[in-house]
Amino acid sequence: MRKSALVGWALLAPSLLLLGGLVGYPILYNFWLSLFAKHAFLPAQTFVGLGNYRYFATDEEFWRSVGYGGIYAGSTIVLQLGLGVVAALLLNETFHGRGLLRGVVLFPYTIPTVVAVILWKWLLNDSYGLVDYVLVATGATRIPPAWLGKDYIMWSLIVTSVWQFFPFVVVTYLARLQTIPPELYEAATVDGAGAWRRFLHVTLPQTGAVLFVIVLLRGIWMFTKFDTVWLMAGEGGVSQYVRTLPVYAYERTFTYLQAGMGATLAVLMFGLLAGATAVYFGLFREEEIVS
Amino acid sequence: MSRPRRGLSRATALYVGGAVLALWAAFPFFWMLSTSLKESSEVFASPPTLVPRHLTLGNFARLLTETNFATYFGNSLTVSFATVVLTLGVSAVGAYGLTRFRFPGRETIAALILLTYMFAPIMVIIPFYILVKQLGLVNTHLALVLSYTTFCLPFCLWLLRAFFQSVPLELEEAALVDGAHRGRAVWHVVLPLALPGIIAAGIFTFILAWNDFLFALVLISSDELKTLPVGVNDLFNATIVDWGMIMAAGVMITLPTVGFFAGVQRYLIRGWGSGGLKG
Repeated sequence: MRKSALVGWALLAPSLLLLGGLVGYPILYNFWLSLFAKHAFLPAQTFVGLGNYRYFATDEEFWRSVGYGGIYAGSTIVLQLGLGVVAALLLNETFHGRGLLRGVVLFPYTIPTVVAVILWKWLLNDSYGLVDYVLVATGATRIPPAWLGKDYIMWSLIVTSVWQFFPFVVVTYLARLQTIPPELYEAATVDGAGAWRRFLHVTLPQTGAVLFVIVLLRGIWMFTKFDTVWLMAGEGGVSQYVRTLPVYAYERTFTYLQAGMGATLAVLMFGLLAGATAVYFGLFREEEIVS
Repeated sequence: MSRPRRGLSRATALYVGGAVLALWAAFPFFWMLSTSLKESSEVFASPPTLVPRHLTLGNFARLLTETNFATYFGNSLTVSFATVVLTLGVSAVGAYGLTRFRFPGRETIAALILLTYMFAPIMVIIPFYILVKQLGLVNTHLALVLSYTTFCLPFCLWLLRAFFQSVPLELEEAALVDGAHRGRAVWHVVLPLALPGIIAAGIFTFILAWNDFLFALVLISSDELKTLPVGVNDLFNATIVDWGMIMAAGVMITLPTVGFFAGVQRYLIRGWGSGGLKG
């Protein structure tokens, strides 16, 4: 018994070493670092206590980045969820080519972000883009909008992100849909319920728990999304119109070389997420347990 | 009388919906492929042509001869495969320890491991960078392999733990009774039964390593060590965009992933169900 515990620990040791050293330690070190003014490359550092936090409390750029992050995360989650659930319901029906379509729908989620972004930049290009061509050709507009300019960059970013990430919702929701007992639908049909009422009274209650988890995960991942946002707008020009908190933290650290400030933003990001998660659990968790 | 008509309109709705969904998900890929096979003049033609009038591989040839794309591709392959090997080794051993040995705190450890999965890379990248710098690993592929391994571990450990739990202990014990030592029992009995899980974990790991942008951006500075996502973004930003060539690059980065998915789709269902890719 004693020996088997030792062997167990020994087998886990490589995992724990990696996770402790490369995730656990950096998380703790990040809190510590947020109390210093530190250059990103040079070792020099000065203790400033909560100075960095006080700075950001009145930093317009910080509050703007929280706002952009909220808009970006909020709208992409709503759209991913709407599109993903409808697509999953469709793919749960029986029709020719369903298997192929299930595979195809996955694709956008599996490619590198850089490909998704470049692809959409090409589709939305203001001189040669297919989207503007179609809009003009069909007479929808005479002057095609500059999708990647400051007025529409947030829209373009949202469309690209929804396209890239909605398959996660489809696959997760579909997996749960397939486990709903068909008898429930049969009973509802006998009771005279139409498609919409079957969805409302059978599907939704059955899938409440998985929707709860999907929104939670996608919320965390969209709020901390760096690559899609950064690749879409870069550092100069229009980037200030979509500079979310992760991008701001990155720029503070690796462009302005203020590692302490960057670490503070990471802590604030963590705090905001933890707070939002707590509220979310408070609002919805009990309902989920009941259903 | 109304029944067949309802059935027909229902089928129509399904196929129309399916077509719209297919168009939304797949058309951008089709457009990427189509652009990559066009001659430069046709890329900018108005009205645009859906299918290239003159098929050409010129964009691919330029990509491979005039840029460092081939180097980036090789780097991505090296880093991704090294990550898969290391991650599978570490997580298989760890998951076996979690399922086959009893020790106090085992469940707590498992829960803590899952907790680390919640931390997005951007939230630890700054101290992570400083740590890698102190270890003298900045600008090495080893740093990338270690970071990807660490970020894949929680998911792989949990996935493999679930698979190992589903392998009946009796089978393993029977092999032990027959005189095989534990290593042989694991190799011949447990691993083959957990193979779908191992394949799924391997693919998730490969894709995460293949697709990552942030770590590669922060940790690698020499051009000859860059992996595909950062390298291609550099190509994109370098000069006036050569759209045909950039789309060719997109096609080439996408191929390995699509190939993987097409080849092993059936192994993936369990993986998706139990948490799927992070992103």
